Amino acid sequence: MLKGVHQKLEPQQSPAFFVRGASPFSRMMLYSALSIIMMAADARLHYLSTARQAFIGALHPLEMLANAPSNWVRDTKRYFTAHNQLVQENYLLKQQAFEHLVMLQRLSTIEAENVHLRSLLNGNIPIQPKAVLGEISHTGRDPFSNVVVVNRGSSHGIKPGQAVVDSKGVIGQVTRVFPFSCEVTLITDKQLSIPIQIERNQLRAIAFGEGDNTLDIPYLPANVDIRVGDKLVTSGIDGIYPAGLAVATVTKILQNPESPFAKIVSTPVAEVTNHLQLLLLELPDVKESVIKPEAAETKGREAKSPDAGAKEKDKKSHASR
Amino acid sequence: MRPVSRWTIYLTLLFALLCHLFPWEGRGIVLRPVFMFVVVLYWLLRSPHLCNVGTAWFAGLLVDLATGSLLGQHALSFTLAAFVGVSYQRRLVLFNAWHLTGYVLLLLMFERVLLLLLKLFAGNENPGWYFFLPIFTGMLLWQFMIFVFGTITRPKAK
Repeated sequence: MLKGVHQKLEPQQSPAFFVRGASPFSRMMLYSALSIIMMAADARLHYLSTARQAFIGALHPLEMLANAPSNWVRDTKRYFTAHNQLVQENYLLKQQAFEHLVMLQRLSTIEAENVHLRSLLNGNIPIQPKAVLGEISHTGRDPFSNVVVVNRGSSHGIKPGQAVVDSKGVIGQVTRVFPFSCEVTLITDKQLSIPIQIERNQLRAIAFGEGDNTLDIPYLPANVDIRVGDKLVTSGIDGIYPAGLAVATVTKILQNPESPFAKIVSTPVAEVTNHLQLLLLELPDVKESVIKPEAAETKGREAKSPDAGAKEKDKKSHASR
Repeated sequence: MRPVSRWTIYLTLLFALLCHLFPWEGRGIVLRPVFMFVVVLYWLLRSPHLCNVGTAWFAGLLVDLATGSLLGQHALSFTLAAFVGVSYQRRLVLFNAWHLTGYVLLLLMFERVLLLLLKLFAGNENPGWYFFLPIFTGMLLWQFMIFVFGTITRPKAK
């Protein structure tokens, strides 16, 4: 019987019984220790982010190759879109553009008026953020994180922390930047929060992601003036999201008699799954806006002190950066 | 079983990485098998002198880098599951096809459970039961590997 088994084995297989190098157990111990050290270094010390960036940069051609089939399918689908669908779309877009133009006419006068009023009140002129257009190349590879990958990276001047919006509203924030792509964490992710304002009554709050395509506004009293259907817009007090962008609409308010807080559920208005294009807003120069009021104050107090001049210079250097 | 060259293993691993990088979406990403682990496991059980626990670790590391998860998560779960897999490798010649299927199913489950534990320890939220769906698609991929590269168990005595 035993002899039979030996005869069945291939000549190449038999050395495998003996030639194994280090024993699997010692290998297992070594590599487990290595993995644990790496996890600790990555989670607590963030030493490995540069290595990861370099690797993702090197992986880019492979990624292009993997993306190629689905891109072909998409492109051929686009090519064969029916003629009258395009005509219809064109008609709709023209109508929309016309409506927007009319709205814009009002906006420009209002904006000019706003700037004028602010200058009268000695306030800061709101910053108009610049933006880079990007396209979603794929959703995150980990199905259990709310992440999309966008085809703009550090080579296009993207920095971590930038706000990302689409035509409907806020999508999220850039969290990791690679040479040719960046990772955008959606506002529905549990680790992200966004300062918001109720459009109707200007009530400020912070919305937290729930992880399941909804947002939660915790720590508000049960009798708070929020109704189903209220629109949430960014309040702009964090200096990352410009004020007034649509974030979500309130869909459900759950009253729990045992809790002093209201449970307010809202769904984001941005449609991440529906289209590919999105805008990456440039980070506002936070340092400048922090220094400005202080500098103005010192200027007012001691009219022509050398200190104020130094601060002015400092401010300029920040602005040029 | 035909002898395999080192390059067959590396090429299949590269192909598995490519499959992993494919832009899966919606239901696909939930059902996506753990390509790298299934391929590594196949070579590990078939020719342990060419593909060892270290290869599994490296494959896990590549998956970690590609998915953007905590570096070392997949690497550790692959390493431990591969170790368990390879420790019974010498007895595989005594297994029949059903034994082998059960054995691989257990190993795939083990990998998922380990990864789930690591993810929970790292502070991720509980992903729910469909975290385990890749086991079943992984079994399909395993059958595919056997179909393409040949079975591991002892050929039937005639």
